[in-house]
Amino acid sequence: MSLGRFALKRSLQGIGVVWGVVTVVFALRFVTPGSPINAVAPLDASQETRQAIAAELGLDQPLYVQYGQYVFELLQGDMGRSYIRGQDVTTLVFERLPATVELAVAASVVAIALAIPLGVISATRRNEPVDYGATLLSLGGISTPNFWLGIMLILIFAVEFNIFNTSGRGVDVGDVALSVINAEPFVGTLLTWLAYITLPAIALGTYFMALITRLTRSGMLDELSKGYVQAARAKGLPQTLIRYKHALRNTLIPVITVLGLQLGTLIGGAVITEAVFSWPGLGTLVIESINQRDWPALQGSLIVIGTSFVLVNILVDVVYAYLDPEVVTD
Amino acid sequence: MVSSRVIRNLKKEFRQSGLAKLGLALVVLITLTAVFAPFIAPHNPTDQQLDQSELPPIGFSQTEERTSSQMVDGEIQTVTEEVEISAEPDHVFGTDGLGRDMFSRVVYGARTSLVVGVLGTLLAASIGVPVGLLAGYHRGRVDDALMRIADISLAFPSLVLAVALIGLWGRAAVNVPDPFVVAGLAPEMPESFVLPITVVIVVGLVNWVWFARVARGEALSLRGQEYVKASRALGANDNTIILRHIFPNAITPIIVLGTVQVAAIILLESSLSFLGFSGTTLSWGFDIAQGRDYVSSGQWWIASIPGVAIMLSVIGINLLGDWLRDALDPGIEGEGGAA
Repeated sequence: MSLGRFALKRSLQGIGVVWGVVTVVFALRFVTPGSPINAVAPLDASQETRQAIAAELGLDQPLYVQYGQYVFELLQGDMGRSYIRGQDVTTLVFERLPATVELAVAASVVAIALAIPLGVISATRRNEPVDYGATLLSLGGISTPNFWLGIMLILIFAVEFNIFNTSGRGVDVGDVALSVINAEPFVGTLLTWLAYITLPAIALGTYFMALITRLTRSGMLDELSKGYVQAARAKGLPQTLIRYKHALRNTLIPVITVLGLQLGTLIGGAVITEAVFSWPGLGTLVIESINQRDWPALQGSLIVIGTSFVLVNILVDVVYAYLDPEVVTD
Repeated sequence: MVSSRVIRNLKKEFRQSGLAKLGLALVVLITLTAVFAPFIAPHNPTDQQLDQSELPPIGFSQTEERTSSQMVDGEIQTVTEEVEISAEPDHVFGTDGLGRDMFSRVVYGARTSLVVGVLGTLLAASIGVPVGLLAGYHRGRVDDALMRIADISLAFPSLVLAVALIGLWGRAAVNVPDPFVVAGLAPEMPESFVLPITVVIVVGLVNWVWFARVARGEALSLRGQEYVKASRALGANDNTIILRHIFPNAITPIIVLGTVQVAAIILLESSLSFLGFSGTTLSWGFDIAQGRDYVSSGQWWIASIPGVAIMLSVIGINLLGDWLRDALDPGIEGEGGAA
């Protein structure tokens, strides 16, 4: 099978999974006690008013009609109208999505940039103090609840030293880029951006830093004991070349797959990090929608979260297949 | 099932690894704390003593500005004075905003974490293991269906799904009478343990898929083994083979996963209580949420201390998991089980 066909096959499977996601999200409303009308109707609403609301929201239709209509509208990019905000859910969700993506990407960048060198150093200096330090650090990192870490960071850096902002988003990364074009003070905008994003990115990224350090360390130890590394050493290749070009490359392949699977953890972590730092992303929207029983907003957010997970995993699989062509033949 | 070789490996690995000893010590400490909470806690963790609120932990003191009205030269004036609040020996970890003893709350919080962690894991395993073994053994359509269900449920982050289900289904809790208190051994303590039952069910439903994946993988690789073929040739039926031959040989990775899952579910439970999606108010996550409001006014201990408790328990369980994995099967890769 060629790489192109593999990508096509995975995409078709992905469409099936997304359809499943939509169906599960739709079904959620019917395994939940209480009618969605309660979220909209006033407490003292008469039976007639309630029926009128049900008719307006399409809730008086049979289940399969409601489902068919929901999927049909979804295919056109229409996720309905929020019960509480009166806004288009599609607009609402895509207004919030960039903030979450920005936070998740910032956290991953911090995590990867620190973890891979740390994992490599830890493996090449096994049982030296550096290795013990990295092991303890990563053990602590995978065991610390990120919301608590966020509060501790606020306590130290915002309350004690007053360096960072702890609430909201300030400017987004697009504003930083635009400031160059618009000849606005670039450094000032960049510093504002950093003041808001640094603490939430560390709070969210620490778990992944720890996880990637562990994976990189054990992967490197595994690779460095293999025959081809010994052959390369015997041939007299420089250590750095062996470590970074050969061993690290083979180590990173499984690391990428685990990261794809852990994307759910990253998004889940973003939900709670957003709650700690009042970050205006999808996570805050999910929690608000649940508390207000705002079904269209909740369904829309869940579908976008589920679909992003599926998309990223297809991408990961295709990258994996490119790096390791044996996968395609399975 | 548990052969003498396994026990020998466990002992050997335990002797060699300082981290394994630390892990076991932490887990034993937390388990004993959870079980004997009524005897360890010096105060009832839910008793509010408003005149004792916001006391710092032993070794710390806190200055607070208090304003009061006083008569000075016949006029009423508002006077601000700095008051030094010192720790009380009776409250080792200080008290929270309502004057509840933090140490007692941390001790009782261990019960919630451990009970939800263990029950949630058992529920997840009791759904995931049979489904995974059946799918991996029979392959074909059952297996395809399972893998698609697994894909769909992995697409929702555990925390997001758990928050949605608990938010929508309600935060039900069951009061389980505390045997020590019922027997009159610790009359001051809460009469019952509040088990957040919806949380247990939801974390089980959200995490079963990890068990299904591991069990399926094991069944797939074991079904082709000689002894399984021999048993089939001797006329054993499929269920007998799965129960007698596949399951016992798949148990090692399932136990290792189960250990990691207890840690993951403890983290998940604390996140849920932090966000207010739990059925109990006696939980480490709940206390961190309470303490968050005091962070900017200087009462740092209310949010900090319960977090250290979570961290130590999760470190302990993860170390125990590493020890079991290294001793039982060096070939297993650590996968899955994050909150």
